[in-house]
Amino acid sequence: MRVFVVCAAVAVMAVASAGARPVATPGVSSDEIHIGSSVPLSGEAAIAGNVARGIDAYFKYVNDKGGVLGRKLTYTYLDDGYDPGRAVNNTIRLIQQEQVFAVFSSLGTNNNLAVRKLLNDAKVPQLYVSSGATTFGRDYKKYPWTIGYIPPYSEEGEIYGRYVVKNIKKAKIAVLYQNDDYGRDLLAGMKRGLGKKAKSIVASVGYDPTSSDVQPQVTQLKASKANVLMVFAFGKFSLQAFNAVSRLGWKPQIFVNDVSSAASLMAIVPQKAANGSISIVFGKDPASPQWANDKGVKLFQSILRKYGNGASSRDLKDGYFTAGMATAYTLVNTLKKAGKNLTRQSLMNAATHLTERGNPFVLPGIVIHTTPTSRFPITQVRLQRWSKGAWRTFGPLVSAKPG
Amino acid sequence: MPIAAFTWTEFAQQLAAGIREGAIYAGLALAIVIIYRSTRVINFAQGEMATFTTFIAWSLMNQGLTFWEAFPIVLAIAFTGGVVIERTLIRPVENAPVLTIVIITVGLALLLNGLMSLIWGGANQQFHGPFSTRTIDVGGVPISVQDIGIVAVSVLLVALLALFFRFTKLGLGMRAAAVNRDSSRLVGVRVSWMFALGWGIATVLGAVAGMMIAPVVFLDPNMMQTILLYAFAAAVLGGLDSPVGAVVGGILLGVTITLLGRYVGFIGSTLKLPAALLLILVLLLVRPGGLFGKVAVRRV
Amino acid sequence: MRTRLWLELSAFVVLAAVVVLLPRFVSDFRARELAIVGMYFIALLGLSVLTGFSGQISLGNGAFMAIGGYTTAILSVDGFYGHQVRDLWTIPIAGFVAGIAGLVVGLPALRLSGLYLALITFGIAVSFPQLPKEFDHFFGGTTGKILNLAKPPFGLSTTANNWIYYLTWGIALVLLVAAWLLVRGKTGRAFKAIRDSEVAAVSSGISLGRYKTLAFGISAFYAGVAGSLYAIANAYVNPDVFPIILSVYLVVGLAVGGLDSLFGMIAGAALIYFLQNHADTVARWLNHLPALSLDPQKPGIPSVVFGIVLIAVMVLLPTGVGGLVRRLFGPLTTRLYTRS
Repeated sequence: MRVFVVCAAVAVMAVASAGARPVATPGVSSDEIHIGSSVPLSGEAAIAGNVARGIDAYFKYVNDKGGVLGRKLTYTYLDDGYDPGRAVNNTIRLIQQEQVFAVFSSLGTNNNLAVRKLLNDAKVPQLYVSSGATTFGRDYKKYPWTIGYIPPYSEEGEIYGRYVVKNIKKAKIAVLYQNDDYGRDLLAGMKRGLGKKAKSIVASVGYDPTSSDVQPQVTQLKASKANVLMVFAFGKFSLQAFNAVSRLGWKPQIFVNDVSSAASLMAIVPQKAANGSISIVFGKDPASPQWANDKGVKLFQSILRKYGNGASSRDLKDGYFTAGMATAYTLVNTLKKAGKNLTRQSLMNAATHLTERGNPFVLPGIVIHTTPTSRFPITQVRLQRWSKGAWRTFGPLVSAKPG
Repeated sequence: MPIAAFTWTEFAQQLAAGIREGAIYAGLALAIVIIYRSTRVINFAQGEMATFTTFIAWSLMNQGLTFWEAFPIVLAIAFTGGVVIERTLIRPVENAPVLTIVIITVGLALLLNGLMSLIWGGANQQFHGPFSTRTIDVGGVPISVQDIGIVAVSVLLVALLALFFRFTKLGLGMRAAAVNRDSSRLVGVRVSWMFALGWGIATVLGAVAGMMIAPVVFLDPNMMQTILLYAFAAAVLGGLDSPVGAVVGGILLGVTITLLGRYVGFIGSTLKLPAALLLILVLLLVRPGGLFGKVAVRRV
Repeated sequence: MRTRLWLELSAFVVLAAVVVLLPRFVSDFRARELAIVGMYFIALLGLSVLTGFSGQISLGNGAFMAIGGYTTAILSVDGFYGHQVRDLWTIPIAGFVAGIAGLVVGLPALRLSGLYLALITFGIAVSFPQLPKEFDHFFGGTTGKILNLAKPPFGLSTTANNWIYYLTWGIALVLLVAAWLLVRGKTGRAFKAIRDSEVAAVSSGISLGRYKTLAFGISAFYAGVAGSLYAIANAYVNPDVFPIILSVYLVVGLAVGGLDSLFGMIAGAALIYFLQNHADTVARWLNHLPALSLDPQKPGIPSVVFGIVLIAVMVLLPTGVGGLVRRLFGPLTTRLYTRS
């Protein structure tokens, strides 16, 4: 009995005395800024993890040139395998153990939703989220420490819808979409873009990411006799869709969503089905001959070669690396704007009063712009078409701004 | 959300796709059953072993070989690999609890998966199968040549195995060793080599399944993970100790899942597998050994 | 027999002392990690009762953890008829909801045995994550449910992580004692009898139906509590928080711990936690061996490390840590490990 009482007393004392010591501004010292991300480096979405590698290379480049206002950038990126549960663990580790200044460019809609509350409660900036869900830019009143980056999926879908109305007569649209927020955002946006012509959608089929193959879904869509196919699918499912279209002998006008449009993916599907596909883009695609002599792309490749930690020649043509560098460029600008007296609040102020022109890694003419009430940094894109093994942009800059 | 109306053409195509899916499940399920029958272990690494051998085929083809040139080489490697794994990992712990051995196969699966990412990277790769991607007209319905080819190869393989088990001495030895080890030893069957042979054959089956499905779903280290789950279900459906059951179970499962997912509205894509598993559970309540399996009856 | 009792009691006291004092020597974040080890430990205690003591293999306890986690999440976020429930009170509720699910699963399990049972429970683990996706209004779909962050109650001045640690390990120690008493008592003897020979058990008058189902219920209860704590610690649930592989990892932990060794489950829990989350550290240790050069950042290395360590542990310790401890400390065990 006495043993128990002693143990209980010790327990209470231990609980009461254990405590954490708060730090002034975590992650910032006189010569260092520590930034963190949680990205997929393994699993289904591993290629998207190249975004983090692009960021890493760009930060090293900036450090060699003196850093940001005299401080070197330290970048810690952890693997979450595209799993929101692991993203939560990683993010907690980043803020508690690694004591980062800000969490930046973490990837995945659900991943970022999972950590948004805890980051905002801890007043840690959740910057330039690598996801196109509209909520990251729209819900700033509830989550003031969060800001998105890439064009919203919903607006992307709307652009496709408007294009069909304008350019395809007697369109009959079939949609293959991933059965989660990502796919459904695109679908909802597309319906908005069709406006009165929403009846043009003759079939839409969702698939679950636990499927092994989407051929049955594509078969069902073909049976609707549609002449337009929207592929709002992720990674390998997008590949399988092209495969199925080709195998079934179907020839619709295909629209493929930006996230799945990487040249490395498009190049391995049957080209008969891929040719003529339309997508949108905001960055310069290093695999496209369109930008072969572009200064920005050349800069990208020289940085990757020197600081890319063993980048292969395939990596030099990988648009995910470029997207990472574009985001990193914006972050460095934001840090400079936040000034020498760097706090998390000054960082958020800079991030919500941004006007950035001349980012070498995005399309010419794009102005990356934010205000405290409009938190969508990139809202301009161009349409592009796949032919003869490469993407080529056409037409003017189109607005993807949420109305 | 508008779903296209029923047409016989589409039904035929869905059926064909289901049979093709089922053929792949059947191949893996057969591999699982062969290993279970001999060593009483569920091999969780079956899928990863299949993907690994498919990557080897892919590498060989990248070096310039055609599919049919690489095919026998890969089968030989697969067979050897299976035998080696059985000898080095399974044999030493033969007398350990079954669960321990199953955990070793889990470790093997993780190891192989990591090795694949390490050696070949995690990105999706294109795999050029032996069948063209043309479609031909079967009674007015466009069916893919590839689907027909996959089913044909699977049927051929199963037939060859059936002949092997039925008519060769080695096959007889394997069946004997699976049924009763001690009696088999008494008549001169080298039981532990029969087990190694079983693993070798199972790995070959997995390799073929992998090479058949890779052109369709694209090759990446995680290619077989979902398919393995379906294969387990098929093996249970058919009866864990019945090779015939594995094949029938595989095809039945493939067709059922595809048609359920397409034609039963509320099931759709998300609940396909749970619905199929529920049906299998109901079946098992009635026949605890699966369709063709045997379970010892204990009257108490 | 008395020696064994004293050994186990002193082991418990040592464990309790370590649990109480450890956070003073480790960082705040590490305390959180140890808390999660504790959650795995709770789940493994339940699995040990089911598989180790009553001989029924379950590859589906991850689903019971998910039931517990989702119960806590739904009660905390959506509340019960509008009232949000305090996270603490949801823990026993989560346990009971999961326990009832376990009883329900236990019923058809009566007809199945051995690996058929294992694969059907595996089927449950596979199917369960699909339910939140299908009934997304109730469960939150893939977006999941976001809870309020765990805060120490009654104004105790300590960090959130330390609170989670003491909460988890407090519950773990209580549940350990409960499990220990259970297996030493009449129910435990019935379980062991069923495990060793069903025919003999029935001949001695033990009701198979009642005890086998009870074992499932108990193990599900434990898993539900563990899942509930996990939801509280993470402040987030979605189908991927309790994936299919979790059920497999639980069985891995069970085997490493030593099937029916309750104390051994700590080793199992530690292994599955650290191999999942610190494979990079292990890779760096292994680098010290000659002829090995593993770059922890390269893709696939964590899996390779996990696989190698797992195989090595199972080959070297086929009866798990518990088996090793028994060989070292206890009198020779009379249990025969039979292959079924």
